Amino acid sequence: MAIYDSVFDSLGLREWCDGGGSGEGPMSMAELLARSRGESGGGTGGASLWDLPFPSLDALHDACGVIPESRDLTLGLERGFLSMRDALRVVIDPVTQPLSWMLRESLAVMTNTPWWIMIPLLLAVTWLVSKSWRVVVFVAISLALLAFVDHYNAAMQTLAIIFVCAFICVLFGVPIGIAMSRSDRLQRIVIPILDMLQTLPPFVYLIPLIFLFSVTEPKLYGIAIILYAIVPVIRLTDLGIRLVDKDVIEAADAFGMTNRQKLFGVQIPLALPNIMAGVNQTIMMSLAMVVIASLVSAPGLGVLVLRGIRSLELGVGLVAGFGIVLLAIMLDRVTKASLARIDASQARR
Amino acid sequence: MNDQVKISIRNLYKIFGDTPQAALADVRAGMGKPELLEKRNHVLGLSDINVEIRTGRITVIMGLSGSGKSTLIRHLNRLIEPTAGEVLVDGENILTWDETRLRRLRRETMSMVFQKFALLPHRTVLENAGMALATRGISRKEFEADANRWLDRVGLEGYGGHYPHQLSGGMQQRVGIARALTSNSGIMLMDEAFSALDPLIRTDMQDLLIELQAELHKTIVFITHDLDEALKLADHLVILKDGAVIQQGEPQQILLEPADPYIEDFVSDINRARVLRARSIMEEGPAEGEISGEIDHNDNLESVIAMAEGALDRRYRVMRDGEAVGSLEMPAIMRALVPRQASRKTARN
Repeated sequence: MAIYDSVFDSLGLREWCDGGGSGEGPMSMAELLARSRGESGGGTGGASLWDLPFPSLDALHDACGVIPESRDLTLGLERGFLSMRDALRVVIDPVTQPLSWMLRESLAVMTNTPWWIMIPLLLAVTWLVSKSWRVVVFVAISLALLAFVDHYNAAMQTLAIIFVCAFICVLFGVPIGIAMSRSDRLQRIVIPILDMLQTLPPFVYLIPLIFLFSVTEPKLYGIAIILYAIVPVIRLTDLGIRLVDKDVIEAADAFGMTNRQKLFGVQIPLALPNIMAGVNQTIMMSLAMVVIASLVSAPGLGVLVLRGIRSLELGVGLVAGFGIVLLAIMLDRVTKASLARIDASQARR
Repeated sequence: MNDQVKISIRNLYKIFGDTPQAALADVRAGMGKPELLEKRNHVLGLSDINVEIRTGRITVIMGLSGSGKSTLIRHLNRLIEPTAGEVLVDGENILTWDETRLRRLRRETMSMVFQKFALLPHRTVLENAGMALATRGISRKEFEADANRWLDRVGLEGYGGHYPHQLSGGMQQRVGIARALTSNSGIMLMDEAFSALDPLIRTDMQDLLIELQAELHKTIVFITHDLDEALKLADHLVILKDGAVIQQGEPQQILLEPADPYIEDFVSDINRARVLRARSIMEEGPAEGEISGEIDHNDNLESVIAMAEGALDRRYRVMRDGEAVGSLEMPAIMRALVPRQASRKTARN
């Protein structure tokens, strides 16, 4: 006997409950246990107020068969999602196909190019972006160290994924941020979405994606990384443009600039330090996600970390983890150096 | 110099708030600024402004902070839209213009100098000076010569390659003036252009402006809260209080016949001997009797007193372009030096 039986009885709903009820279906293990305990425990008559359960779905279901169990809710969600899946696939699959293609190409290029071309190339890019010999030397030493302990391939795979995902984040994030800065209404709509994306535990991104795409598709982890990492670049672009000095904007208006001239000639250049800070954050967050995404077949250093956990290979996990830290420091120093360069070429008034 | 009206402001009202049109009816029915704020929660920015701005003259609009002077100047290029009224530029009501035409007005007919300089911090001094031309789509190569010429003219030779933050405040405002001059517009709007500068540099800049004006004969609208500055620059002085014009006219006239106790308070603190000129207090007609010497009609009283060596029995002939236009006795100078409290009565009648 369930505690809430009396409630339904007094409301005269007993018939409705029994009528719709599935009768005696197969019992769950928990129910069986409860029943046996209940019998051995000595009846339900002595149910005190102290033991009153919250009127949750499960508790009410015990009293009235029509009311669904909580398990039905999750089951319903799952079924709903699965029935939508085919329709979603028709739309999302072709749209995201370029992502798969980009990830595959980038992985192939970065791992197949011989190291004696790849490393100098990366160092050249570092120099172009940061214009700082100290950073270049640091990156050179770090890459050499990673290659020396035979983690070169994994590190290149991780970098390849980050480059593609961060590029796409900037490609979409900056225009979204600009649009937000121009419309308060859009900002009100987008900010809760960004908040949700930022607070949703990273693993949760993976669950619906696994159902949508096959695990062999690189876009599966690509989308997860992009959704997770795009938030800061959008936020900081929006903020940066909103923070541009009102007086300068007024001057631009007074001299008859069009909106486009104002955007590209004044707002974006002046917001650039903030936008670059957003790019830095985005790169760091994609690095964090690429490790988690190894659960869904993202190659790279994350796979080694996962191996360390799964088969308790302490050394493998630690070395790979240290490699990730090294990559993170490299990416951070390079982007920070370029940020400092932009800052220095601008007025600090 | 001719006396053509360049800009004409007619019955201009500006009310800040949610329903300015409804509040406008109240204002027209005679509701004052404090009452409007209390009863309708609207701020009366400008109330029934009528000002004629003449070609080639410096019109100074003076008032304390909150008097609406900065709001008024922004109506001239429609950075702020009025609630009611007309702004005629060369006889055409610019309030009816569409965006394209308005933009052309801002690009070619009017230029603006700002209190906080509002230079583009990421552009060099030269690029800032050429901003108006660059906005019109003129290439750097073509505007460079013009921009350099005006930078030289305002005393910034050799600074073209610097960035604004590398210059002092006074130099930055020189760039602001060069920017306005390079646009080659007939009208210059100067919004408290010298208020942010320290007193010595301010005097330098005022002299520079007078010098430039003697050469260029632009139509200048100058906003200030400083009466000394206003009297130094103005051909036509407009005094604003609480969004309404309380007196306008020739500055000497306002000084000698203040129409309002508010203005009397204002003018009581200034050095009248330095501001008042012979022409304003002379007796017109041919000088009779004994003459001690000749003075120019634009000499100020200070120099006349110095010439007379303080003696009170002198009498001077006032000359304009080599012609005698009147005479001036020392007692008249003494009388003019005392602020006229008596005028309070006559002004009200």
